[in-house]
Parts: sequence; structure tokens; C-alpha cells
Amino acid sequence: MSLWRLEWLRLRRTWRGVGLLAVFVFFGLVGPLSARYIQEIIERFGGTEGVQVIFPAPVPADGMIQYLSSAQQVGLLVVIGVAAGALSFDATADIATFLRTRVSSTARLVLTRTAVYAATAALAFIAGAAVAWYETWALIGLVPVDRFLFGTLFGALYYVFVVAMVALAAGLVRGSLGTMLLAFAFVVVPQVTVGLISAAKPWLPGHLASSLASLSQGTTEVGDFVRATVVTLAVIALALAVAIRLLDRREV
Amino acid sequence: MTAEAERPLIAETHGLTKAYGGHAALDAVDLRVAEGSVYGLVGPNGSGKTTLLSILAGLRRPTSGTVRLGVSRGAMALLPDTPEFEPWLTAFEVVDLARALVGPSIPRERVTEVLVEAGLGDVIDRRAGGFSRGMLQRLGVASTLVGDPALMLMDEPCSALDPMGRREVLDLVASQRGRRTVIFSSHILSDVQEVCDTVGILQRGAMRFQGPLQDLLTGNRTPGVLVRVRDDAEGVARALATEPWVTSAAVLAVREVRVGVRSTEEAERELPGALARAGARLVSVRPEEASLEQVFLEITR
Repeated sequence: MSLWRLEWLRLRRTWRGVGLLAVFVFFGLVGPLSARYIQEIIERFGGTEGVQVIFPAPVPADGMIQYLSSAQQVGLLVVIGVAAGALSFDATADIATFLRTRVSSTARLVLTRTAVYAATAALAFIAGAAVAWYETWALIGLVPVDRFLFGTLFGALYYVFVVAMVALAAGLVRGSLGTMLLAFAFVVVPQVTVGLISAAKPWLPGHLASSLASLSQGTTEVGDFVRATVVTLAVIALALAVAIRLLDRREV
Repeated sequence: MTAEAERPLIAETHGLTKAYGGHAALDAVDLRVAEGSVYGLVGPNGSGKTTLLSILAGLRRPTSGTVRLGVSRGAMALLPDTPEFEPWLTAFEVVDLARALVGPSIPRERVTEVLVEAGLGDVIDRRAGGFSRGMLQRLGVASTLVGDPALMLMDEPCSALDPMGRREVLDLVASQRGRRTVIFSSHILSDVQEVCDTVGILQRGAMRFQGPLQDLLTGNRTPGVLVRVRDDAEGVARALATEPWVTSAAVLAVREVRVGVRSTEEAERELPGALARAGARLVSVRPEEASLEQVFLEITR
């Protein structure tokens, strides 16, 4: 059994893979529905007696925006939690001993596991986005395919970045909870500090997270995300190199 | 020169020291393990056995000193004292993973063979999450053996096993002699005495003795005689303790006295008279058989 199969079995038997997919697909289903029927939902459940709230007619981009708003909050937390559970290589010392004394290099262990979870998170995001796009087309109208595809790819890259941050955190702390909290900080802190400077925002990985919304709205173009894409790829590579170095030097 | 001394060394350390803060878990340890031997590493809790094995396995780095291994890392395997595995993997998958990582060319049939050897033939397809500690230990043994390592590091391999399992592991360790080198740490000194040909005694991180077991048993203990009397063992012990050739006299059981002597010859010559003078009602006298436990206690006291 190879390390790839080990990670596949981990995804399958611990329900991590299904869990991730279910969360994003659920948001993909609910997002366009809420965009299309927000008026009716508010009227029925909003408790606005005597007040009439009138929403503008939904446009196709609203379906993608609704999907993203959930994916960027709950979805992000679920990705970090699931990845932290798997990427905390040394959380259980004796399990770590089994693998560490048998793999030819730490890099092989780190890269395989990170790749599997990054791919899973990206695929879950893409699956949710595809469901949201289809439902949006059926209920509201068509989001241009090219804009949808680029927005989805940028968004998927963002989740690869998130998983790389989890791997980096796992190199710094041993436990799953610590890894989760530190990874969350790595993802969010740059957004709420450097991201407040408008000139810096287009360079940050977080810029990719909302690309599907702004591309669907037509307020940005694909070229606007090149800088963030380059920086994100560089940060992913650096984070993995540092994680491998840290895990290689860690004593078990 | 002994046979052990003539064999090439497969693991050797010089001045190996491992410090945690101000505490030295290992203090200038010079380990010498001959190829093909079964080396017993004994010592009280906290004496540095696990640290030494971890450094040999590459899991920890020494603070100073050198480690020289006669085999590549891939040709050695470590069995921790409480092996754990992903609970959602079956026994077969655990051992197959070990096989694929250390020796992809080893045929898959070997996985089933070592599981049967380790006594897990009936639970090959059961998940490790439902295994008892003893079963996990056996699974650890199987996943260690599957790679056919030249050097096996076994940290307290019998600690969680029932008497039958312990017997099987001891037989397995003993059967490795000459086929591969085993470094076997244990608190159970009778186990070490039974299966090991070479012993290293660690105390507070320092190597207090290292060499062939036989040398340890014959060369490092005070000779003794066990005297069984009908009654008043205390009185007999007190009387014998006054004899100049007696180094110690202690009541072991209600009617048994251990008499430490300067030499066996003196004891054979002087003991009958001393017992007669003490008015002892003698039941039996026999030379004390050397045990690792006694020698260990004498060395580490």
C-alpha cells in the first residue's frame, strides 16, 4: 500500500472527504436558492409586520455571491479543521514513529498528505461552485462560463493555499487544535491587516477567495488576479518548504 | 577474545550525550553492538533506554557524541513500547504499508506470513482500532519483521503481552540470533537473561556495564550460598555475619539465608563449621545461581 492509498483510505474511512464535499455542495445548493427566493423567505419568516422590504430582482451573480459567502466562512473553517486533523503528523507520537522510521524522506510524507487534502478541498469547492452555477442558471440566469471557470479555478487555488497554511502550522505545533488555530491565523490575519491597505489587497491570496463573485458581477477581469495568483503560488511553495524543514528537524 | 568481540559492530556510539535542559538523559554512552547478537538493554525507568533507541532510529538527535551504524536507516526497524496505528486500517493494511515503504520488492504474500507468525492470523482483516494492547504489540512485531531488517530495535516488546504472548515474542527474539541483530530493552530481567547474549546496563543515562551476559553473571557479582535451616534463620544469619569470610548474611525467606562470601572456596571450607557453631538445624546448602536481577541490583545500587 502506497502513501497515496493511505491518504485515500484516510479520506474515505474517516469520512473527511465526504464531509468536505457535502459541506460545499450543500452551500452550492442553498446559495442560489436563497438568492432567488430571498424576498419570499423574508416575507414568510422575517417577522417584518407592517414593513414591506423590497429586494431588487436577483441577477445571476447573486447566486455565486451567496455560495461564496457561506464557503468563505463555514467552508473555510471546515477545510482548516479537516486538514489539521490529517496534517498534524506528530499529534500521536507512536503513529508518527511508525511512518517516520519507514519513509525515505519527510518531504514524501508531507507532500503526499498535503497534496491529497489540497486536492480534496479544491475539488469540494469546485463541486459546490458547479452546483451553484447550474442552479443559478436554472433559477436566475446564466453566469458566463469563462468567468465562472476562472473564478472557480482562482477559488480552488485559494483553498490549496489554505491547506498549505495548515501544513506550515503542523510544522510549528504538534496538536490538531493548535494546528487549526495557527492555520486560521495564517489565513485570516494578513487579510484583516495588510488587506486593509487597498494597494496591497490585489497581491494577497485572500483576493482569490472572492474572485468568483466579482468575476460573475463583471466588476473585475481575469487579469486582476494574476498578481494574487503568483504570490499565492510562491507562498504555497515557501510554506511547504518550511513545513518539510521543520518536520524533518522535529524530534519525536 | 570472545566471539562477540570478534564480530563486526553494527551499531556503535561514542560519547553519546542527550540533554534536555540541564538534565542528561544520556551521558557519554559508548554503545557497542556486534552484528548478529541479541543485545539486552536494561535499566530502571528513566535510565535513557528509550532515548538511546530513538537516537539510533533517527527520531532524536544527540546533543553531542557520534553514532555509527553498519546498516542504512532503511535496513533497521524500531518497535516502540506502545505501538499505535491508524485505527481505520486493517492489520493487513498496516503491515502492507510497512512492506511497501521499506521494501516494495518484498512480495505481498509475506504480509500474511508475518501476521500469522505474530499470532494475528485470525484477525488479518480486522481494523487496528479494535485491537487490545497485546494485539497492537503483535501487530508492531509483524510490521517490523515484514521489512526483514538487519537491525531491529525493540523497546519493551513484552510490556503489554499476556504470558503466552510474552513467551511467543521471547521465542521470536531468540530465534533472530545470527539472522539479524536485535537490541532489546526490557524491565523484565529474566527475559533479557533468557534471550540476550550481550547486555548493557544503563543507569541515570550512563552505561554501567556492557559485555557478554556470561561475563556479567560470573564476573560482577558477590559469590553467595543459600542456606536453608529448620528454624531461627535470623539467629543463623546473625552468627554467620560475624565470620571474617562472610561479606553479608540476609534472611531471604522464613527459613532461608543468603550468605555472601569472599570466595566460593572459603565458603566450602568454612561454612560447615560456622553452621555447627551457630547451632543451625541444617536442611540444605546450595551455591547461589547467578541471576541478572541480582547482578543488576548490585551494579545499580
